[in-house]
Amino acid sequence: MDLVIGIGNPLRGDDGIGPRVVAELGPTPTAEAIAVLQLTPELALRLKTADRVLFVDAAVGETGAFVRRIRPACGHGLGHAVSPEALLDWTERVFERAPDAWLLAVPGRLFDVAERLSPEGEKALPEAIEAVQAWLRSAAAAESSEEDA
Amino acid sequence: MQREIHIEPVTRIEGHGKISVFLDEKGDVRDAQFHVTELRGFEKFCEGRTLWEMPGLTARICGICPVSHILASAKAGDAILAVRIPRTAELLRRLMNLGQFVQSHALSFFYLSAPDFLLGWDTDPATRNVVGLVAANPDLARKGIRLRAFGQEVIDRLGGKRIHPAWAVPGGVHQPLAAEHHAWIVSHLPEAKATILETLALYKKAFASAELRNVLGAFDSMYMGLVTPGGLWEHYAGVLRLVDAKGKAIVPALDPSQYATIIKEASEPWTYLKFPHYEPMGYPNGMYRVGPLGRVNVCDRFGTPIADQELEEFRAGEKKRSGRVFDYHYARLLEMLGAIEQMEVVLADESILSPHVRAEAGINELEGVGVHEAPRGTLIHHYHVDKNGVIEKANFIVSTGHNNLAMNRAVREIAKAYIKKGKVTEGILNRIEGGIRAYDPCLSCSVHAVGHMPLRLDIIEADGRRTTLCQE
Repeated sequence: MDLVIGIGNPLRGDDGIGPRVVAELGPTPTAEAIAVLQLTPELALRLKTADRVLFVDAAVGETGAFVRRIRPACGHGLGHAVSPEALLDWTERVFERAPDAWLLAVPGRLFDVAERLSPEGEKALPEAIEAVQAWLRSAAAAESSEEDA
Repeated sequence: MQREIHIEPVTRIEGHGKISVFLDEKGDVRDAQFHVTELRGFEKFCEGRTLWEMPGLTARICGICPVSHILASAKAGDAILAVRIPRTAELLRRLMNLGQFVQSHALSFFYLSAPDFLLGWDTDPATRNVVGLVAANPDLARKGIRLRAFGQEVIDRLGGKRIHPAWAVPGGVHQPLAAEHHAWIVSHLPEAKATILETLALYKKAFASAELRNVLGAFDSMYMGLVTPGGLWEHYAGVLRLVDAKGKAIVPALDPSQYATIIKEASEPWTYLKFPHYEPMGYPNGMYRVGPLGRVNVCDRFGTPIADQELEEFRAGEKKRSGRVFDYHYARLLEMLGAIEQMEVVLADESILSPHVRAEAGINELEGVGVHEAPRGTLIHHYHVDKNGVIEKANFIVSTGHNNLAMNRAVREIAKAYIKKGKVTEGILNRIEGGIRAYDPCLSCSVHAVGHMPLRLDIIEADGRRTTLCQE
């Protein structure tokens, strides 16, 4: 089972893009999709059993919604919030495996207190949802080709 | 020539703080201060909002302990509605608060503090964190993760989500407990209890001597917390008790709504965090401590079998209540154990699945106080409303504020013990930070004195010239 994690605070404008993508993703029979305010160390319990994981987060300075591969990387310990790379590292250390992981960075512009996305954030939303669906299809295609082989 | 040492920011606490240590001509510690440099303002911008919004609004004060604010706010709302909430609603609020105790204490113990004392105070800071803890004891780390996740899951299954669940409301709670969630929580209690008992055994073995437990200093103080009318450990209702260093009751049983008759708040120009104190003894002599050690020190017993045995062992051989800062960690483990045992009692209650969970009423009082125990200590919400239930004035006293005098005292004690003749090493500095972390301060919650403090900004140029900007 794949895992999609939308990260962000829906009360801070475009920071809520990740949860919004998850909310509008529609049915995902091959994946579990969850929304979190921030990454916390307990998510390792979900990551340890996932085949693949896609983190969806708002990003400053991006020009489009891009999916890129990420790998475990040691941070400066863990508190109540961690980066995707540090969470993968933590999962690998504690449970001796971490899933293959990708990060979808979605451009955001306004991160002030607001319950809605900025016009730029709204504009980026369809592209971000399509990127997640393409990522999910890529897993299905890979499984299909493995079965054919 | 005097010398100042600054530690900024203090790491592994919720929010940001700064510590200043002032040395004299000989390089010994003259004074030390714990500064809180964040500013929030919730008391001010709650004005004009309705009572019904307050649980959800004040939950946003903190992403770590929103449940505590939701419950205190709902209790203040109960008082303004002048209702007695249904028994099941109280049981469910208790259950959520106990889940909050488990998840918050597990976070503090396993993620934030254990690396200090299980890996050693003088180890390399690069490895003295929870990642280093995994390398040293992966099984303990795994169990710590599962324990915290259990506490969060309890909150999630009651409130619908782990952070900011809009569930407790004035008059009760939004929805009853589903049978499947009840069964899930019951089925996971044994593992949680086993993890706590194993960790407690490990902890007692590692810190068997009083000397090791004195590492962060020890000093006498008063302690405050809720107890049942019979003197048992309490986290949701009951009466406020204040005891002295020997455990003798100074205030045996105060109606929590009358907190203002004994607690006053003082301010200092070098921090945004106010200084609540026991008013009859004045400021700063009226220092008391709250939170895990405060609660463990004010109660007679837990009222549950295993926690009571452990509490008896904790107090064995002591002529007075423990004043050791380090014992906050011990108390945290005792409280997690007591919380699990109390969950067992709550979940076995025959009315726990009742659908009657909310009392409906209008505005019947213009003032209400909600007091309960957050994991970090006594939490007070005090509202004044108009006839339509619109907030005219709000006052919050949070646990980190109650402990402010004690945290400053702890910093001074540790600094004096470990900094001599100007000799300072990372291990020493981390002990000072450890003294703060033992109280598990939540600065996000505790800074709300907008407009009460002058702002001061020091600009120090390369040649040593200092420019100070002040906002009166």
